[in-house]
Amino acid sequence: MNARDRRRLLLGLLAAAAGQALPARAQGFDLQALMQGMAARKSGQARFTEERIVHGVEGPLTSSGTLAFTAPDRFERHTLHPVKESMILEGQSLVLRRGDRTRRTELDAIPELGALMAALRATLGGDAAQLQKHFRATLAGTESRWVLRLVPLDAGLARQLSQIEIVGRANDLHSIALQMQGGDRSLMLIEPLDSPSRAAQ
Amino acid sequence: MTAGPTTRPRSVPVLLIWLALVLLAALQIARTPFTADLGVFLPAAPDARQRLLIEQIHSGVPARTLLLAIEGGDAVARAQASRELAAALRASGLFDQVSNGDQEGFAGFGQWLLEHRYLLSPAVRPERFTAEGLRDAIAEATSLLGTPAGEAIKPLLPRDPSGETQRIAEALVPARTPRSEAGVWVGRQQPRAVLMATTHAAGADTDAQAVAIATARKAFEPAAARGLALRISGAPLFSVESRARIQSEVQRLAVAGTVVMSSLLLLAFGSIKAFAAAALPVATGVLGGIVAVSLGFGSVHGMTLGFGSALIGESVDYAIYYLIQSRRGADDPSGAGRGWLSWVRTSWPTVRLGLLTSICGFTALLWSDFPGLAQLGVFSVAGLVTAALTTRFVLPALQPDGAGGSALSRRLGMTAVWAIPRLPRLRLPVLALAAVAALLLWRSDGLWRADLASLSPVPQEQLAFDEALRADLGVGEGGTLVVVQGPDVETTLQRAEAASDRLEELIDNGTIGGFDSVTRLLPSLRTQRARQAALPPPTQLRAALDAATQGGPLPAARLAPFLDEVEAARHAALLTPASIAGSAVAPTVDALLLRRADGSAAALLPVTPVTRSGIDARAVGQALQGVPQTQVLEVGDELRTLYARYLGEAQAQALLGALAVVLLMGLSLRSPRRLLAVCQPLLLAVLLTMGALAALGIQLGILHLVGLLLVVAVGSNYALFFDMLHESGDERVDTLASLLLANITTVASFALIWSSKLPVLSAIGSVVAPGALLALLLSAVFARRRAPLAPADNARA
Repeated sequence: MNARDRRRLLLGLLAAAAGQALPARAQGFDLQALMQGMAARKSGQARFTEERIVHGVEGPLTSSGTLAFTAPDRFERHTLHPVKESMILEGQSLVLRRGDRTRRTELDAIPELGALMAALRATLGGDAAQLQKHFRATLAGTESRWVLRLVPLDAGLARQLSQIEIVGRANDLHSIALQMQGGDRSLMLIEPLDSPSRAAQ
Repeated sequence: MTAGPTTRPRSVPVLLIWLALVLLAALQIARTPFTADLGVFLPAAPDARQRLLIEQIHSGVPARTLLLAIEGGDAVARAQASRELAAALRASGLFDQVSNGDQEGFAGFGQWLLEHRYLLSPAVRPERFTAEGLRDAIAEATSLLGTPAGEAIKPLLPRDPSGETQRIAEALVPARTPRSEAGVWVGRQQPRAVLMATTHAAGADTDAQAVAIATARKAFEPAAARGLALRISGAPLFSVESRARIQSEVQRLAVAGTVVMSSLLLLAFGSIKAFAAAALPVATGVLGGIVAVSLGFGSVHGMTLGFGSALIGESVDYAIYYLIQSRRGADDPSGAGRGWLSWVRTSWPTVRLGLLTSICGFTALLWSDFPGLAQLGVFSVAGLVTAALTTRFVLPALQPDGAGGSALSRRLGMTAVWAIPRLPRLRLPVLALAAVAALLLWRSDGLWRADLASLSPVPQEQLAFDEALRADLGVGEGGTLVVVQGPDVETTLQRAEAASDRLEELIDNGTIGGFDSVTRLLPSLRTQRARQAALPPPTQLRAALDAATQGGPLPAARLAPFLDEVEAARHAALLTPASIAGSAVAPTVDALLLRRADGSAAALLPVTPVTRSGIDARAVGQALQGVPQTQVLEVGDELRTLYARYLGEAQAQALLGALAVVLLMGLSLRSPRRLLAVCQPLLLAVLLTMGALAALGIQLGILHLVGLLLVVAVGSNYALFFDMLHESGDERVDTLASLLLANITTVASFALIWSSKLPVLSAIGSVVAPGALLALLLSAVFARRRAPLAPADNARA
């Protein structure tokens, strides 16, 4: 097996995916408060559109699809355009589908992916400790518009990824931006879909 | 040999013949290789798919893969040590493949995939290279750009815009991989770095494996100096250590056996000369056994020698019988030098019958499908015959009047004389115990255990460590294996491709987690040709590419290398096992494709379950229905089934052996009453021994069965002697003394191998030592009653 290609492939699939919208009630606004708000939400679904700007490639690369999160650790990303592919993560197990092919593997075999995944699931699940295990997290802004900046602590991941920037309002995520070390970047815009807990608000 | 009733034995010719034979035997032994491999306790001639399994265990990649663990220190120190060790092992040239999770180790592999992508990628079909197909392919290939994975893909795009390399890599994603930390593989449960190293040398080449292990230990010395520890496991280590263990055990048993036996004989005879005479048949017997095994098998296994030391205990019996019993003749009026004649007349028929019954018992082993057990059988039969013949013909030449016993042996005889009339009182208690034993055996469910591990000389604790490492590395020793066979490599690969297609569907529907297949690295020639034919000629490809890249992210102008490489691939030589020899993928291909000398081949497709669940082998088998010569093997289950079948066969053989013993005795005793009297103690001895093992919760395997057979074979000697005593009515003290002494030596020698650290030997010993003792005791308990003995007639001092 080609470990490098495999690892990068998985990492990419995942890194390109992030976020969803979550409602919350917040008082004094800091990371702890944000996380508490996030933790209140048990599941959510969203539509996303993604733009990637890659050095050496003409024009932005765009894609779109849906995201879903179910506490504590299930995360799905279904890309519908331009090619159908999906990624389903549950605990340590990872299922990838591209076209008509399915691959199953384990998350802890790919530590960079594990860290990215931790960022995502910890943010969505409101687990500050888990988040801070893998990233230096700084929160700016107010509850009505906050920016969570994550800088990877893992050296392997840091060589590739310089930072993740998540923008949101209350416990809704609006966008996730990945900034790569080489200057490439991606921006995912998130539009929440109605879900039971949201409707109940 | 016949000797006239009044002549002395023809000493000189007999001794010369004996000496010549011993010299010949020594010559044969001098050119006999001695082995210690573990394969002899795997069955020899199973059916086709089991042969494959055994083939795998003997010589497959698992047989030459070392599992290494680095413990101590912190994660960073262990990762550094892992990299250093892997580099040193790779540089040593002794290993085909060294994997520690370090990506650098796979650089050659990735480069090879890139170079041969148009023969390997399952996506290479005619429609892939149309304008529409290329547009989709480029969209998919660029979907990872702008992510960490993009860094690896970007430089490849001008050569591989349709993403064939990604497509191949994706297919190779393993379902179960080791955890990775600080860039190397680490344990999931314990803090340790883990590595795998497959030696170039065959698994059966124990010397080469020992060198490989020593190389690893030496390479680790700098890290050991920093406080880290290297632990090694895997089949090569087991064979190397087992060989050492077997060698040291055999030496220990030989020394201990000699010391114990010598002390007993010296105590019993009180004379060096008699002791030397008693040792002669034993030594000759051991020589005879080794020569027979060497002639029959071409080599002698260390385990056979270890067992041989137990056989000393039985063959020394003949010498004891002769030396003690032929003494009586010296008191005869017919004069000195004739003791041997009366022994030949009175006792030899009984000894001969005992010998024949023993041979009957051991002969059952000759048909064993375990080469190891067959060796024990040949060794025993040849050894006993040689020892008995030496006793019969050589001992009279040396000690025509036997040997005077010591005070001890007379006391033994007197004790027996005192005990024998009293022993029958034990009949009721013994019968009651036997009834309890029978009930116990009847009620117990798991009496017989079908488990190959019971034969393994590897300590339990090491097996547990091995299992933990295998879990970390995601390489099961057992697991599920789809085996596809064919008369030649091409047919096998085509069938493996068909099987792979079916297995892909099982991944989609979640029945299995994944699988490996050689066809991902070495497709059939048919598939390679089809892929080559799907590649369009340059002008056509250029036109399609121009259309496909219009307004897309990759301008056609940058994709000139793609056009060139597709054109090159159209004319590239196809991949064959010969052409990939020596390349980075060769070890993987060799592991998954077995090529036999006759040209036939077998592809192995290891199947991985969905995380933390089992595999429904029936569903896999159903999905594969219709693919020729394709089977699902569940390695653990298969081995258990195999062993269970051999256990069943061995039980049948043992019963036949026992039946032959009874028949033989019946033929020669010619009296149902006498036969019953002889069989009764044997049956009870077997029953009580089995009952005791069952009561102790010890499950019985093939080796215990061998032991029970030996109890019958050895015990029949005692029962026959009691029968002879009853019939002839004289010679009590000496005969009893010799019987008791013979029994003590037998029990002592089997008790010695009972104490062995080798399960094979200790299992046999655990049955024979108590069984033989019981056989003698019960023979006395159930001896037919006679008129009370008059001490004056018998206690000759």
